Amino acid sequence: MNKSRIGLLLVAALSVLPASALAAGKAKAEAKASVGVGAGAGAEASATTEASGDESGAAAGAAGADEGNEPEAADTGGGGLEDICKIDPEACPKIDFDKEAKKSLGEQIFAVQQVYALRVRRFELNPYWSISLNDQFVGHNGPGLALNYYIFNTLAVGINGTYFNWFNSDSRFNADVRRAVRVGVPLNEYDWNAAFNITYVPAYGKFAGFGDFIFQYDAYIVAGGGMISTRPIPVFDPDYRNFSYKAKPAGNVGIGLRIFFYRWMAAILELRDYIYQEELENIHADWPNSDQSANCNNTAPVSHANQAYWICQKKLTNAVQAQVGVSFFLPTTFNYRLPK
Amino acid sequence: MGTKTMKIAATSRNIAFVLAAGLAVCTTAKTASAQEVVVTGPLAGAPAAHKLRLYREGRFELQPNVSFSLLDEYQRTIFIGATLNYNISDSVALGIWGTFGAVKLTTALSDHIQTEIDARHCATNAGDLDCRLTQVNLGRTFKNQIGSIDWMAVPQLTFTPFRGKIAFFQSLFVDSDLHFFVGPAFVGLSERKDCTTANCIKVPSGFATASRTTITGAFGLGLSFFTHKWGALALDWRAVPFSRNIGGFDTAGTGPNKNFPDNNISSDDRHFRFNQFVSVGYSIFLPFEYRISE
Repeated sequence: MNKSRIGLLLVAALSVLPASALAAGKAKAEAKASVGVGAGAGAEASATTEASGDESGAAAGAAGADEGNEPEAADTGGGGLEDICKIDPEACPKIDFDKEAKKSLGEQIFAVQQVYALRVRRFELNPYWSISLNDQFVGHNGPGLALNYYIFNTLAVGINGTYFNWFNSDSRFNADVRRAVRVGVPLNEYDWNAAFNITYVPAYGKFAGFGDFIFQYDAYIVAGGGMISTRPIPVFDPDYRNFSYKAKPAGNVGIGLRIFFYRWMAAILELRDYIYQEELENIHADWPNSDQSANCNNTAPVSHANQAYWICQKKLTNAVQAQVGVSFFLPTTFNYRLPK
Repeated sequence: MGTKTMKIAATSRNIAFVLAAGLAVCTTAKTASAQEVVVTGPLAGAPAAHKLRLYREGRFELQPNVSFSLLDEYQRTIFIGATLNYNISDSVALGIWGTFGAVKLTTALSDHIQTEIDARHCATNAGDLDCRLTQVNLGRTFKNQIGSIDWMAVPQLTFTPFRGKIAFFQSLFVDSDLHFFVGPAFVGLSERKDCTTANCIKVPSGFATASRTTITGAFGLGLSFFTHKWGALALDWRAVPFSRNIGGFDTAGTGPNKNFPDNNISSDDRHFRFNQFVSVGYSIFLPFEYRISE
């Protein structure tokens, strides 16, 4: 009975022994690999591990080297440091190991870094505030919402929409120009826009801040098509003209920067150019008496109220918007395909 | 003998048990170590970054750059200039950015105003309502009265708190840093010279510009992408806020809060602007070799 217990224990020990050797060997192998990375091959490490960077690689490498050296130091009988000091006192390490050992433990670093936040098969919900950048006369600001689904880690399809109606704002510059030079400029205001988009993420990186913390970011390009609803603001004949909002086809291209706070949350800064054919108010209104150019449709004018003469010109317009917001990735958690 | 044999057997069993248990525990611990390297001992609390490439520390940085003015109402300006920095440490530098307005381009709005000026024929039609109401504000050639920035000199302190790397298309990896700069700005600009009503309507002398220098502050941020040990592509955004009269118009000077035109051109007609520029340049670092931290 006793013999059988001993036998069972030995079998158990022998059965775990290969696993133990394997684990140790793997650890050493990873440690050695990390030393290589830490020695300046950060780029190579990044190539396989999503830009792990020199910093983490170096740290991991140093840790790995330490780990890997332990058994060898033990093999020499434990007198390694003393021997060095005897041979060359100047090379004797002056680290106070007792003091260093008292430092807080628990920080974890990994031999190979993974992508901080995987996007693939996740939804991105992005509420944002849109600010117009290139219209000095009327500000087109407003809240918006984007929803993307990442088919791949670098490619997403999605939609976005912005509501402008309540937030169009006439600028002081507009009043100054009109008063100073008596020159009217056709003005337009926006109601909403909506677009279907494709997003590609070609660049990602990380910054170490103050040598203390690390934040991850990525840069993306986006393009799409949809509709934008706008209308002219009556400037030249406001007593008669009153325009309704009209939806027009609009394409868009943009670039963006996403800074991750968590694996499920990031700040977004995006520049988007919505390109569409804008309808401009007819700048001529003093007809039929003195200004025949108001008759842009070349038909007999009837009255100021004839809407056929209210819009005479269409112009390709670039509405450049800065979209600042927050991204939430859903589901909030994800699994890596490979272990750390 | 029998007792001794039993003792040996018991001892063997105990040793085997302890060995087996010890091996099992050790194996479990080693397996965990292979998964996660827990920093203990002398490395605990060590900085996250080792063997950093100190691209900046102790090096001069000479950066020829081209800058573009942003969000201009009447005139866009392309500046040609350079930045010279001495990097005291890898995160702090002292230097100067100097630039001059090499190319000035009118906007569509300016062209539209010029078209209106031409259509009014105010030289021969002075009694026209539009001509009379704009005689203080519009000369014959609008671009000659537009305010412009001629040069800027900005001694600046640069902080580089963030450094890292960026990967493009999962194949091109570039060291990069994010830096911030701030400093006083000396700005040389041209704008319509001050005048009173009688002088302001004289063409063309009343619409001529005069140069002045203003002192303000400048700040901004930028990215550097290190393409070589000695060189980096730089992209900066900079704001130089100050008041100026960009169109040469009389827009203020009388009434409540001086918000109504007074038929004079004066400093009251200057409006605060958040003058913004984006610069693209290439930094050359001297000496050519960088140091590597421990």
